[in-house]
Order: sequence, then structure tokens, then C-alpha cells
Amino acid sequence: MKYFAGIDIGSTSIKIVITDEAEKIIAHSVNATGANFHKNSMAAFNSLLDKENIKRDDIVYIASTGYGRKLLKEADETISEITANAVGARKTVTGGKVKTVINIGGQDLKGISLDEDGNCGNFVMNDKCAAGTGRFLEMVARTLETEVGNLSNLHFSLKGVPAVINSTCTVFAESEIISLLANGHSHEGIVVGVHYSIAKRIARLIKRIGVEDIIFFDGGPAMNKGLVEAVENELMRELFIPEIPQITTAYGAALIAKEAYEEEAVHA
Amino acid sequence: MNKFKKYINNVNISRFRFWFQIFAFIIMVYGGFLSIDIGENLPTFSCPYIDKGGGTCFLMGLQHRFTLPIDQLISFRGLAVLTSVLFFVSWFIFFNKAWCGYICPLGTLQDWFTKLRQKIGIRYSNYSEAKFKKLKKIKYILLGLLILIPIFMANSIPFIGKLSHDWAVPFCMICPGRTVLPLFQGDASQLVIDYGSKTKMIFTVLGMAITGMFFAGAFFKKRFFCFFCPMSALQFIFKKLGFLRLIKDGTKCTKCGDCYRACDMGIREIADDIESKDIIKDDCMMCFKCVAACPEEKCLKVNFLGKTIYEATEEGFYKRQKGKK
Amino acid sequence: MEKERFEKVRKHVRSEAALEAGDVLNKIKDNFPDNPEGMNYFYDLLSRQFSEGILPKNGKKVIGTMCVQVPDELILAVDAIPIRVCSGSFPYDNAGAEFMPAKTCSMIKAIMGLFSVENYQKKFDMLVIPTTCDQKKKTTEMLTDMGYETYSLSLPSRKDNDNSRHYWQNSVKEFAADLMKKTGKKITTSNIKKAIDLKNNARYEFRRFFNLRKKSPSVIYGKDAFLVANAYFVDEVESWTSALKNLNDELEKRVNKNFSIVNQKTPRFLFTGSPPIFPNMKIPLLVEEAGGLIAVDEVCSSSRLLYDMPAYDEGALYDMIPAIADCYLKPCTCPCFVPNEERKDKLANLIDLFNIDGVIYQSFSGCQLYEMEQKLIGNFLMEKGIPMLYIESDYSKEDTGQLSTRIEAFIESIKIKKKSDLKGKRATK
Ligand code: SF4
Ligand code: SF4
Ligand code: SF4
Ligand code: SF4
Repeated sequence: MKYFAGIDIGSTSIKIVITDEAEKIIAHSVNATGANFHKNSMAAFNSLLDKENIKRDDIVYIASTGYGRKLLKEADETISEITANAVGARKTVTGGKVKTVINIGGQDLKGISLDEDGNCGNFVMNDKCAAGTGRFLEMVARTLETEVGNLSNLHFSLKGVPAVINSTCTVFAESEIISLLANGHSHEGIVVGVHYSIAKRIARLIKRIGVEDIIFFDGGPAMNKGLVEAVENELMRELFIPEIPQITTAYGAALIAKEAYEEEAVHA
Repeated sequence: MNKFKKYINNVNISRFRFWFQIFAFIIMVYGGFLSIDIGENLPTFSCPYIDKGGGTCFLMGLQHRFTLPIDQLISFRGLAVLTSVLFFVSWFIFFNKAWCGYICPLGTLQDWFTKLRQKIGIRYSNYSEAKFKKLKKIKYILLGLLILIPIFMANSIPFIGKLSHDWAVPFCMICPGRTVLPLFQGDASQLVIDYGSKTKMIFTVLGMAITGMFFAGAFFKKRFFCFFCPMSALQFIFKKLGFLRLIKDGTKCTKCGDCYRACDMGIREIADDIESKDIIKDDCMMCFKCVAACPEEKCLKVNFLGKTIYEATEEGFYKRQKGKK
Repeated sequence: MEKERFEKVRKHVRSEAALEAGDVLNKIKDNFPDNPEGMNYFYDLLSRQFSEGILPKNGKKVIGTMCVQVPDELILAVDAIPIRVCSGSFPYDNAGAEFMPAKTCSMIKAIMGLFSVENYQKKFDMLVIPTTCDQKKKTTEMLTDMGYETYSLSLPSRKDNDNSRHYWQNSVKEFAADLMKKTGKKITTSNIKKAIDLKNNARYEFRRFFNLRKKSPSVIYGKDAFLVANAYFVDEVESWTSALKNLNDELEKRVNKNFSIVNQKTPRFLFTGSPPIFPNMKIPLLVEEAGGLIAVDEVCSSSRLLYDMPAYDEGALYDMIPAIADCYLKPCTCPCFVPNEERKDKLANLIDLFNIDGVIYQSFSGCQLYEMEQKLIGNFLMEKGIPMLYIESDYSKEDTGQLSTRIEAFIESIKIKKKSDLKGKRATK
């Protein structure tokens, strides 16, 4: 049996997807990146193989992607997370053509528009700072003394009016939230305010490349249904959320690994 | 073949033209002495007032032929007009407007004045864009008049009647070709005022004044007279038939304006128009100085029956500029 | 005290700048295979520029220039040395940031940093700055305030009508008169003719270079091509010309031997926008390190610099000086002009001539002209179906990681497109 691996080394987590020749996901994992991400990626990779009972030799091709992609010497191919994300998204959706991809990562915010053939046509990324990214949500959760996973619950239990968050800069937003709390605003209201402030930022960014259906929304924060609702309202369109939002990029890398492997086989 | 092409494209066209013009001038002005007669209906100012010239200017015949009553003009006698035009066109067709750039003795003469001015080191003058647009219409008015006046000599105009015989060959009467060119055979007899009648007097005085302007103008402004020349207007009507073409590939043009700087006629479109392929404008005399001054490979071209015989090249440009004194 | 502190700052900035230059130069040399022998002259020259300074030591008058519109033929004619002082150095940019508004473009900050840190008041006899963008204009005044002898060369905002042409011709004439006064030398037909020929020789070699770059797959990297043009900023024309001639001869041999540095699949890019000036080779290096090739550029620090050639008709000052003037105005595609349709035409022509797969558009953050024109150019290219990557950046290296991801993704998308185009071609066959 031949398998292909895509390893996405992001700023907060390492995502691994293994596919078979039919391009089906047969195993996947999400682990924290930690400090030594080379060691941690290999550990995560090996433990996934162990868990799923896959022989290392059966993995015929590895493609790495994400910020740490170039440092993974074990990879046969490196690919930028933008391309990998586009490829993964295109394959994940079966009922139509994905035209726009929105991805929120640990430290960045990406918008990709796909052309008719599903290739990456244009894309935008946030500049230098972490405003509106996974890290931002973590800060919010920490400040409200809750878990990131709980933000969605808070969002939907709001009774009353949401708070307005003006700053998108992580540092300023933090002090803004603290003063909102001091002024007696509810946690729920603040969370909704935060979601809308992120959603607005996403909408502004994404409009630079044009928004077209189907819109694919992935990355860890896409699991937050409250945020999804806010983005849908800001864009006034429905979003497609994959089953496991974190692994689309790794899946794309695995697909690219397969393609590269087959191409090499032709030339060999 | 390629070497030959390169050689041609590197040619200093100004020098070639200078000698060619002298050659053509001799034929046009002294052709009779060499028993050369190219023929009638030439699309250039080979003026028959020169005693022993080498050909005959089409405009003279044209003015004569239109002195026919309208009914005759549209009958079989009109055929004479038609055949003469046919002859004119068949002469014209070969060289297109290059008749002006290379052959017309009056044009050549103006170029000599330009050379003289350069030697003395006096600056040339130019028309502003607005003036250019206004003045360039004059040649069409002159062309209209030189056809209409003869017609009104044979057909009466309401209230005025027919024009008298003194109006004959009206353009010739004011054409510097008549007064200036015979001078080269030592014949100054055209430089007189005819007191025979009021009309004649006005015409000859006007002719003398225009001659004066011709000299003064040509000295300060390159090809001063050509700008007003009805022959140029007439030629332009037939430009589509010419075998010789000036072609521009606008995609290669940087609008640098080098060609416009070189153009003695001051044609702005040669640099600024990047749409037209066939770039000959009504004032153009097809001297091809612009082609020689263009630094962009194959941007401007001279075609003869669709075949390129001369074109702008980087190397040619560089060599010519370097070779400048 | 103050003086001592100043000395210290200068020493520090200088050594940082030399370090940066050395670092970039090493990357340029070591990270790529098959550098032409002929490039060594340019590598050495630029490395000396930062270790020994940019000033010539032959006692001639030195005129500093900015932008591409300063007609240096006139400077050569009065036997002075033109040096383009537009700077690409991050340490100087940092030094300038101390007193310049935060949103100023990096190049301007670097220039201001350079002239504030270095005491060049006595070394430059004049700094000539055309009135191109607003920031350059005010730079002039700030430099005057710092004790520099400046000359503001008045450039019109339009180039498409007679008025602006004549306006500019007069500007250049005035400049010529001022130069004569400053240097005490007269401009004559013979020395201006010599200067024109000198610069035309340089232009001729530059065009040869330009044409050699058309070969696909390429015989030279874009990073080297940028350096060649950058060296012209500070080098003496004659030695620069002969060094480029050597390089051209070498490249010609490569062409004849069918030797190329990349392969058929390498995506070919056109680089346009704000000028990469050594050592700010950030974007070009990122592109070429990620497996792209900058086949040609349309920037004022390279192709725009020496491409256009003047043509005079009559060998007299009254015709030669306006001819020089025209050549710096009419074909110039600087975004300070309006309208600037010529830039689109130029890009379209380059895309054709150089077999271009995609366009990289760089804007310095804070350069409004390039930032705004980006939209127009982007729309134009979109209509033509040419992909463009727009990058807003400055001289700092902070954003390198992010940028490399974006650039790689762009290159990947073009590779995929190229592959499917090839497949399509094969299928139709
Ligand atoms: S336009 Fe000039 S060259 Fe041509 S026929 Fe008239 S006078 Fe002669
Ligand atoms: S006078 Fe002029 S128009 Fe008349 S024949 Fe002579 S050249 Fe021709
Ligand atoms: S456009 Fe060219 S050929 Fe025509 S007159 Fe001008 S320079 Fe001569
Ligand atoms: S000289 Fe050539 S490139 Fe320049 S404006 Fe004329 S036609 Fe265009």
C-alpha cells in the first residue's frame, strides 16, 4: 500500500494528514507546535503512524507546508500554505466549486480566490501583526478567564446588546476588554463584540480579492460557531465549514505529495 | 541578404537624401538641356515656367482643364480631366508623398535654406499645436480655389457673372515655383508686376509678396511653404494608393518623441499616435528622417508594396547619432 | 559633547550599513550558481561603495542627483561627476526615521538619514532633485535647511502636451545655465556632443544587455541585472560601460553555447514599482531564491535608467539641449506623471518581448504614487490575463517570512498554470 503525508507546521499547531492512493484521509492529527517544532513534528508524525499501524516505508512521499516547512528535512517537497490550502479546500468540497478560501491561523489571516480551474488566482494576507487571528482569540479567552472552546457558547447565550470592540491590535484590545469588564459589560456581550470585530476585519481583507461563492472557511477558529455566524453576517453570505477545519492545509499538502510522487514516477 | 539589410538600415538617410535631391533638382530644373522630359502631370512642382525643365507640374494642366463649361466637363471632354488625373496618379503611386521629400525642386530649395540657417547657427522656429491645426487647413482652401476659379471662368456665378480671363491659372500666379525656379536658369522675367489689368496686378503683386515670404519663411521655418502647398493636399487624397508606405508599430513605440524632433514638418502624430499603422499624415513629405531618428527596433518602417525596405534599428540609430557632427 | 555623540552615531550607522551591504552581497553571490565572471566588477564596486564611501577622489566637482529625470549629460559636459544618491540602505533609513514622519517612504528616509549622518555638505557641490513626488520635493527643502546646496529641477506633471514639453525644456536650460555658473565651465556644442556620446555608449551597452536578457531560458539572474544598473549610480560612465561590455560579451557566449542558468519551467517575472536599490534587494532575492526569475524590470533604478536615447537633429545647442530634455520627459513612465498610460504600454510590450508569466509589483510603504497606480496597473494586467503579485514593503527585514510565503505561493500558482498551459498545448496538438 502507498500512502502520502502532508505535514502543516503552523505557528501554534502541527497538523498531519495521511492519505491513500484514492486521496482519502486515512489518518490525521493536530498537536501543539511547541518550542522545538522539528522534533515535535517528527514525534507527532511517528506517533500517528504507530497509532494507525502504518509502516514508515509505506509513506512514499511527504510534503511539508506552513511556517516551519523549510526546516523539516524529512519532507520530499515543500509547498506554501496558500497553495496547499487552496488545493485542500478544492478537494474537500464535492458539491461545487470553491471560489474563495478564508483561513484563520494562529498568527495570520488569509484570503485566497480560486480561478475556474481551482488554481490559486489571487490572495491576501494580514500585514505584520496578529490582529484578528487565533492568537487574538486566545488573548480574549484568557482575559475573560475561559477557554477558547467556550467562546462559541458564550456567543449564543447573549441576552441584550453586544459590546463594541474598536481595537484589532491584540495589546490595545486587551486593555479595551478590561475596561469594558470594569464598566459592567457581560462576558457574552464582549465575546460577540470580539467576533464581530474580527469578522469586520476579515470582510475588509477578503473584499480586496473579491468574494464569490462557494466560500470555504477553515483554520482552528472556524470551529467557533459564533465567529462563523459573525463572518456570515458581515459578508452576508453563507460559509462552507469543513468537518475538521484545522487540517485542510495538511490535506492539501498530502494531495500535492501524491501528485509530485506520480510525476516523479513518470519521469523515472 | 541580412548584411545588406543591416547596411541599409545603418545608412545615414540625410546624406543620401541630400545627394538624391541634388540629382532630382538637376533633372527637374535643367532636364531640358540634357534632353530629358519626364512628362506632364507630374505630382511635383516641376514648373513649366522654367524654359528647359525636365517635366511639367500637374497643377498647371489641372487649372487649364477646369476652364470648361459644366456641361462639357461632364461630357466626353471631361474625360481629358480624368485621364490627366489618371496620369498624375500613376506617377504618384510609385513614390507616394516621397515626391515631396526627394524630388520637388521647391522642396529641395527650402531644405537648402535650412542648411544655410544651420551653418549660420540661428535657431529654427516652430508652430504651436493650435496654430499648426489652424494653418494646415490653408492648403485645402487653396486646392479648392484653384479648381473653383477656373470653373467660374467658364460658368457664370450668380450676380457676378463669369470671371475674366485675367483669372487664368490663378494658383500659378501666386506660386513661388513660377517666380523662383526660373531664376536657376538665369531667368528673372517672372519677377515682374503685370500692370495689364487690375486683377493681373493684384495677382502678380501677391505672387511677389509670396515669393518674399517663401524666402524669409524657408529660412526660419523648415519647409515653410510645403505646409500651405495645394499639391500636398491633392496628393494626400490618393495616399491610400501609394506603393511606398510609412508604417508604425505602436506597440513598440515609447512616445519618446525623437521622431517628432527630426520631422521637418513638425508632425506630432508621428510620435504620439500609437494606434495607426499607416502613419502618413497630410503634411508628411516622406523624407523618412523620423525612421532614421527612431531608436526602437522595427517601430517605424518604410514599406514598398508590402516589403520593408528601410526600418528603425537600435544599431542604426546609435551609429547615426554618433556620426553626427 | 554633541559632536562626539554625532561621531559615534556616524561610525555606528556606517558599520551597520557596510555589514548589511556585505551580507546582501554574499547572498547574491553565494546563494546562486553560475555567476558570470563579468559580474565581479560590479560586486566589487558596490562592496567598495559601502566600505570606502561613494565619493570619487579625482578632484572633480561632484553633483548629486535623485530620480531618473536629471539629465546627466549636462553634468558630464561641464566635466563634473554625477552621482545618484537615492539610497537603499536600511541603517540609513533607520537614521532618517528618527526625524522624518512615520509614513515617509523608506527611500526618502534613507536619503535623509544618509545626508544627516554623513557630513556631505562640502563634498557635494550640488544636489539636484527634480520635482517628481511630493516627498522628493520637500526633501529638497529639508536638505537646504541642513546646509546643502540644492537645486530643485522643475518637472511638469504632464508630459503629453506642448506646454509641458516647453516648460521642461526651459527647466533644463535654466539648469544648464546654473551648472555653468556653479562650475565656471561653459557648455559648448563639442563638450555636450561628447557627453551625449559618452552616455549613449553606456546606453548602447545597456540595450545590448537588455536584449541578451530576452533569451529564454535566461542567461542571467535579475538580481545581477539590478546590480549592474545600480552600479551606474556611483560609477564613472566610461569604466562602467567597458565593464558592462565585458559582461555582455560573456553573456553573448552563453547565448551562443545555449547555456542557461535556469530551465524551461522556471517562471519568468517582470518586476515593476518602487525601485530596488542596493542593498535593498529583499524582494528580488526572495523571488529568485524561491525559484522564480526576474527576466526584466520596469523600475527607475534599472531599465528606466538608461533605456531611452535622445536624438538631436541639428548639432547646435539650441537643438541638443531640448533633445536631451525631451528624452527624459516624454518616454518616462514614472508614476508622478498624469496621465501615465505609457507605463501600461511599456509593461505590455515588455511582457511580450520577454515572455513573461507574471508581474511582481513592489510599493514602498508610504509611496502613495506607486501604491495608487498599483490599482490601475493591476486592472490593466487583469484584463490581459497576466497574474500580478502586489507587495507593499519597506527596507526592514521583519516581514521576510510572511513575504516569502506569499511569493512562493505566487510562484507555485504560476507553475501550476504553466503546467496546465503546456498540457493544453500538448492536447491540442
Ligand atoms: S509640399 Fe513642398 S515638396 Fe511637396 S510639392 Fe509642395 S512645395 Fe513641393
Ligand atoms: S507655377 Fe507652380 S503650380 Fe504653376 S506650374 Fe509652376 S510649379 Fe506648378
Ligand atoms: S513624418 Fe517622417 S517622413 Fe513624414 S515628414 Fe515627418 S519626418 Fe518626414
Ligand atoms: S522615435 Fe520611435 S519610439 Fe520614439 S516616439 Fe517616435 S516612433 Fe515612437
